[in-house]
Amino acid sequence: MPRLNSATDLEKLRQEILAHRDPNKPCVTICSGTGCHAYGSEKVADTFLNEIQSKNLQKKVDIRRTGCHGYCERGTIVVIFPEEICYLRVKPEDVPEIIATTLVEGKIIERLLYEDDDGQKIIHEGDIPFYKHQRRIVFGPNRFIDPKSINDYIARGGYAALAKVLSEMTPEQVLEEVKKANLRGRGGGGFPAGIKWETTRNAPGEIKYVIVNADEGDPGAYMDRSLLEGNPHSVLEGLIIGAYTIGAHQGFIYVRQEYPLAVENLYIILEQAREHGLLGANILGSGFDFDVMVHRGAGAFVSGESSALMTAIEGRVGEPRPKYIRTAVSGIWGKPSNLNNVETWATIPLIINNGVTWFTSIGTEKSKGTKIFSLVGKVNNTGLVEVPMGMTLREVIYDIGGGIPHGKKFKGVQTGGPSGGVIPESLIDTRVDFDELTKAGSMMGSGGMIVMDEDTCMVDVARYFLSFLSEESCGQCVPCREGIYQMLKILNRICAGQGKPGDIELLEEIAEVVRDASLCALGATAPNPVLSTIKYFRDEYEAHVEKKRCPAGVCKALISYYIEPKKCQACLICLRNCPAEAISGGKNLIHIINQDKCTKCGVCLEVCPPQFDAVVKLSGVPVPKPVAIGTEVKRKRGEKSE
Amino acid sequence: MAKRKTKSSFVGIKVTTEQAKTLTRLQGVLNSPTKTEVLLKGLDLLSKSYSATLVPREGRPDTKAEPRVVTSLELSQLESEAHQYISILQQTKNRSEEVMKQVIQELAKIDQTIDKYGGDKDCLIQILLDIQRENRWLPKDALMWVSQKLDIPLTQIYHIATFYKAFSLVPQGRHSVSVCMGTACHVRGAPRLLEKVTDTLKIKPGETSDDMRFSLKTVNCLGCCALGPVMVVDEDYHSNPSTGEMEKIFATCD
Ligand SMILES: Cc1cc2nc3c(=O)[nH]c(=O)nc-3n(C[C@H](O)[C@H](O)[C@H](O)COP(=O)(O)O)c2cc1C
Ligand code: FES
Repeated sequence: MPRLNSATDLEKLRQEILAHRDPNKPCVTICSGTGCHAYGSEKVADTFLNEIQSKNLQKKVDIRRTGCHGYCERGTIVVIFPEEICYLRVKPEDVPEIIATTLVEGKIIERLLYEDDDGQKIIHEGDIPFYKHQRRIVFGPNRFIDPKSINDYIARGGYAALAKVLSEMTPEQVLEEVKKANLRGRGGGGFPAGIKWETTRNAPGEIKYVIVNADEGDPGAYMDRSLLEGNPHSVLEGLIIGAYTIGAHQGFIYVRQEYPLAVENLYIILEQAREHGLLGANILGSGFDFDVMVHRGAGAFVSGESSALMTAIEGRVGEPRPKYIRTAVSGIWGKPSNLNNVETWATIPLIINNGVTWFTSIGTEKSKGTKIFSLVGKVNNTGLVEVPMGMTLREVIYDIGGGIPHGKKFKGVQTGGPSGGVIPESLIDTRVDFDELTKAGSMMGSGGMIVMDEDTCMVDVARYFLSFLSEESCGQCVPCREGIYQMLKILNRICAGQGKPGDIELLEEIAEVVRDASLCALGATAPNPVLSTIKYFRDEYEAHVEKKRCPAGVCKALISYYIEPKKCQACLICLRNCPAEAISGGKNLIHIINQDKCTKCGVCLEVCPPQFDAVVKLSGVPVPKPVAIGTEVKRKRGEKSE
Repeated sequence: MAKRKTKSSFVGIKVTTEQAKTLTRLQGVLNSPTKTEVLLKGLDLLSKSYSATLVPREGRPDTKAEPRVVTSLELSQLESEAHQYISILQQTKNRSEEVMKQVIQELAKIDQTIDKYGGDKDCLIQILLDIQRENRWLPKDALMWVSQKLDIPLTQIYHIATFYKAFSLVPQGRHSVSVCMGTACHVRGAPRLLEKVTDTLKIKPGETSDDMRFSLKTVNCLGCCALGPVMVVDEDYHSNPSTGEMEKIFATCD
């Protein structure tokens, strides 16, 4: 590959690539994101390749493995271009039929299509409700691109923004654009990127650094991962533009080693970019030099914090430091360093290409553009969604997410990961926007959106996050290390049915200290899950403490399993499955759970046939006295046991 | 290669003329490392399956165990143990040359890793990650070797090795079992799944079965929340397996 020495060279290459591609040639794209991979997309792709080869169709059909399409609930996803026929839940067994029917005969296979609530089949990906309500400007290109192919990226206008910046704009002009676009950081706090860039740019010193934060420590989110796995060039392009604007010649990508595919893709695309003259000395003949190093993070949530991340890049333990001087002024090795999230960087080329007016037309007054969320938990359509800022939570959860499964009741949605809070049903019309979510006692955070239904215990959720944070606290400062631990101890106590009057107030008191006195944002935001759940679900805490009752039936110490004698049909299923051998009874004899032996594993409830529905979970009420052992089941005549 | 430290931290090794001859021969086998290096490799041989016995931070959330912190006392213990090994080395007169070679090769791999990063101290975490990937854990002598080569105090290396979740200071089993404890999996019942796994495997997160067959750990979001709660055995993902299914899955792992 010859080096590209100017914007013209890049455009020439793009035309060449396009000239070699027939837009009407069928192309089968197979989602190979993490979700689909888990469903076995690898085998689907291999089967396609083999079948196409054995049928000698290579010249007629292209096969492409793409990054995550987002609709992880229905993997493996296969989309056939140019018609955009979207097949869901594709298994390797379906492949021969797809080739014979759709690719050769040009017919649709109905059973693989999306079916809406009215039984209507939907052919095109974009018409499926899950996609229809989204605005996928950053995440959308994933589905067209083979992440390992720079040609795919260039063919879709990739690196045009970089070419424009390097050939037509001064760094000041780029900075002005980013500031005017009011792009706010997608990694947590929502700090305006333009202002941060400017601080680093103006900070004294010749050597400066730019960094991508791909640590993604939020334990329930994976959008940064999917961007890096699916469209890594877009992140790199944004980073180079940032480096040019700020005046940095060295960049870092801090990516967690738990994302092996992202790491692998990064090494590949950096090499490609260097070969093409998009990285290294004299980028696109502009005289600007810049290169990037990959730093694999070894797995510590706190290392995603800016100062900690920079310490880790220096090869030391990634612990935060007090930020009397901001990292924008004194970061890696004391040099001005600008850190942004993966999604923030990936948005930059879009702003340059489409202009500030276009970008600011999306979103709300103070939060512009779109945000990618990982919509997960108790929701029908699990997956990654990108929506314009200002959409309501209701629209995201119901219109895109398709509501709550099994007809259960929506209880709350957790946003912002361990630093965020739970937003209750009463506030479901809150708009997703940095300031609105903060007002509701949560935050945007990196974009986790965990939907919870009536079966989720809020005390347990608070306990979950605190247990995560107490594990992840680096332990340097006392308020965070001890405060979180003490809060966790109280929550453990409450969940174990040993809550004392005054516990809730004590939690609130400690939370305040932790929030105000911690060294870094990990501690400062740690109380959020506790405070927001106390604020909106205080009655649930009180039920645990005062009535020793877990309304959602989650906290083990507060529940018991009981077989309703009237409903029990003595089918022996629970009795045989009980791992603790706590169930007595026999053929035709009503089954009884021995409460002293019961480990509350819940197997009996799971296995009791739905038509009998005899096992119930009790909480806060005494277990009824069992019938005498050996009581026979009363059956209507004609019924048989088993 | 970084400038070598004096032999002082591994002092006191007197070798017989015979041993010296063997060592000199061995020096040639591996692009002539110095005599100290050859000895260090012998050290590794002796502490081959020896672990630092420092238990890493255990899995979350329901483990009762307190996270362990490496104390300087323990570190000085490690040092003295190292000296013990040296004395054993002195006693072992006729170490088989073959085994020695094998050991040397292992440590040579670490040398290669260090060289890959140009012997740069700043790349310590990257070097440790590579060693971890190679062995699936960080053997103590490997860390000692890195400390020696990069001239970084062993304490600092242990600080890093115990801080990050990616590192293990105990040998790992042949099969890795991970249960996702991410938020999405948690609300979908990950704690129960974990309980089933611990009951079936009879080990807790962070532990390895006595027969070295399984190592169990908890992880955060694997990016397949739609399958949650998820268990991953080696490379295969399983969506909320029942106890029966689980037993079948584990039975296929030898
Ligand atoms: C404990 C902690 C963990 C964090 N983890 C991440 C992370 O995994 N990814 C990320 O982008 N930002 C993370 N942040 C936020 C970063 O400190 C920083 O604000 C962000 O990367 C800046 O990028 P942005 O301005 O583009 O959002 C974390 C912050 C804290 C306090
Ligand atoms: S939380 Fe378990 S895979 Fe996402």
